[in-house]
Amino acid sequence: MKILVCIKQVPDLESRFKPNTAGTWYDEADLAFRMNEYDEYAVEQAVQLREQVGDTAELAVLSIGPDRVVEAIKKALAMGCDNAVHVQDLQAATRDPWQIAGIIAAFARDKGFDLIFTGMQSQDRGSAQVGVTVAELLGLACATTLVGFSFDNGTITAKRELEGGVKGVVKLSTPALVTCQLGLNIPRYPTLPNIMKAKKKEITVIPVAEILKEEALATTEKFYPPAKKGGGMVLEGDMGDLVDKVIGILKEKTAVLR
Amino acid sequence: MNFELSQDHKVLQSAVRDFVEKEIKPIARKIDEDHAIPDLLVNKMGEMGLLGSYFPEEYGGAGLDMLSYTIVVEEVSKACGSSGVLISAHTSLCSGPIYTFGTEEQKKKWLPPLNSGDIIGCFLLTEPDAGSDAGAISTSYTRDGDDFIVNGSKIFITNGGYKGTGVLFATSDKNLKHKGVSAFIIDLQSHGVVILKNENKMGIRGSYTTAFALDNVRIPAANLLGQEGQGFKIAMDTLNGGRIGIASQALGIAEGAFERALAYSRERKQFGAPICDLQAIQFKLADMWARIETSKLMTYKAACLKDAKKSYTMESAMCKMLASEAATYVTREAIQIHGGYGFICDYEVERMYRDAKITEIYEGTNEVQRVVISKLLLA
Repeated sequence: MKILVCIKQVPDLESRFKPNTAGTWYDEADLAFRMNEYDEYAVEQAVQLREQVGDTAELAVLSIGPDRVVEAIKKALAMGCDNAVHVQDLQAATRDPWQIAGIIAAFARDKGFDLIFTGMQSQDRGSAQVGVTVAELLGLACATTLVGFSFDNGTITAKRELEGGVKGVVKLSTPALVTCQLGLNIPRYPTLPNIMKAKKKEITVIPVAEILKEEALATTEKFYPPAKKGGGMVLEGDMGDLVDKVIGILKEKTAVLR
Repeated sequence: MNFELSQDHKVLQSAVRDFVEKEIKPIARKIDEDHAIPDLLVNKMGEMGLLGSYFPEEYGGAGLDMLSYTIVVEEVSKACGSSGVLISAHTSLCSGPIYTFGTEEQKKKWLPPLNSGDIIGCFLLTEPDAGSDAGAISTSYTRDGDDFIVNGSKIFITNGGYKGTGVLFATSDKNLKHKGVSAFIIDLQSHGVVILKNENKMGIRGSYTTAFALDNVRIPAANLLGQEGQGFKIAMDTLNGGRIGIASQALGIAEGAFERALAYSRERKQFGAPICDLQAIQFKLADMWARIETSKLMTYKAACLKDAKKSYTMESAMCKMLASEAATYVTREAIQIHGGYGFICDYEVERMYRDAKITEIYEGTNEVQRVVISKLLLA
């Protein structure tokens, strides 16, 4: 059984984001990056399936981006993926979901993957388009927003999260692609011995120019923080105090009362 | 010169950081209040591989390097100084000398359970009358057939309360001073090993600091570490490496307090603005950060020198001295930035202040570090 899990490296969401000089995306300087949280659930589920199937299964992890994404790849390898593909792309942040899906589909098309896992969406761009587009491009059965997963004899039973906390169960046969929601499982920590073992696992590097054939269908024009709201002033006390305070403020801060 | 961590070290740092954030940080205050690290946490640290980071895989270690170990102790200590020193004393002071000076049989026997964390290790050198003057120990040993028989007492033994494996120092003749000292691997479950007490301390309260009486304890001759009379050298070499661990612990404590102080200075408003707008607070933050970065550079340098198998005595003494003094300074200023709230246990910086002080004292007082540094300068 051949399994692929696709991951993205995103900035730590607690970072302070600033627009880049063109104002089209965030400035990467001084940001700390980590594996997209949704993808951690995807990796964990893929590794659990890999363990369930045993040595006849092979689990590959794929990530697209500059050299820094190898950190996320190594984490996935330390969690239990067998080997990795790094699609080296300095421009990954400017690609639209169609191009990203196109790259993944171009890589996966002739590899015979039985099952592809992705996160439901990325934490930074959040389009939630890549997984489903890959499934469409490759003609795979697809289920999204998984909060439960089991696999038996070529059939996936997927529990999906619907609106308002309602759940649904979907069955689909391989080959298939599933996108993973937060809470699907508890992602394991990469242990120190497994971090060491991951150093010996193979990472195949593919320059993006070799497999990117698609033009962008959409471009991000602008990236900006919400306008700052001025903090209002709240006065407390009885009516007489409040009047005195308002008069004091008007005298002190404005030219209305002099 | 490249001052950036390798990708592998970054992966490790982020993995340990996640572990600490979820498993240690939420209970750090309770560890201090209960004077105990839960066994469950010790087990989890073992499973994570935090207790055998830099020893080869063939002995059950993770096979990483000294810089990885430094990062582990630093990250853990950001949340909990007690857990940091558990790892440091266990790794540097017990597994370390067994790995460096042990025979192949000794390594195969003792290291796997230590590296997995099934057994917690300690280092039994200090005695009531032999602290900095380690050559003056009076715990004695005599040979009796296939055994050595040991009598005496040991105090201030970090991790002693686990009664796991120890590296013990004893003398054949006190008059020989350091030349009479030998090192042994001791199973602290042995008959005659008595815990007199676990000390009640100012800080690192979750960590055991144990006083032992050793009453006719039989140690198999096969447990002699190195040669007879080589013990003082083993002790000094071990402490040399151990200082990198304590520097990492101190560095982590300082960083933990700094993170809190920085965040608090942004949130806390006085005179209508966050206190970080006040130059008095800005200068404190600048001084704190400069000391942290200086300590970090020296600590990582010492670890890298050890990894490169180069001499690191000077750097390990300097990093221990710099980082411990940074820790007491930074934690004190962190309380000052918190004002009255810093004095309240809920804000946790007071615990970090209490935890920091010992790092200026153990594994060689900072006065001893200055002796080491100046001796090398004048040699």
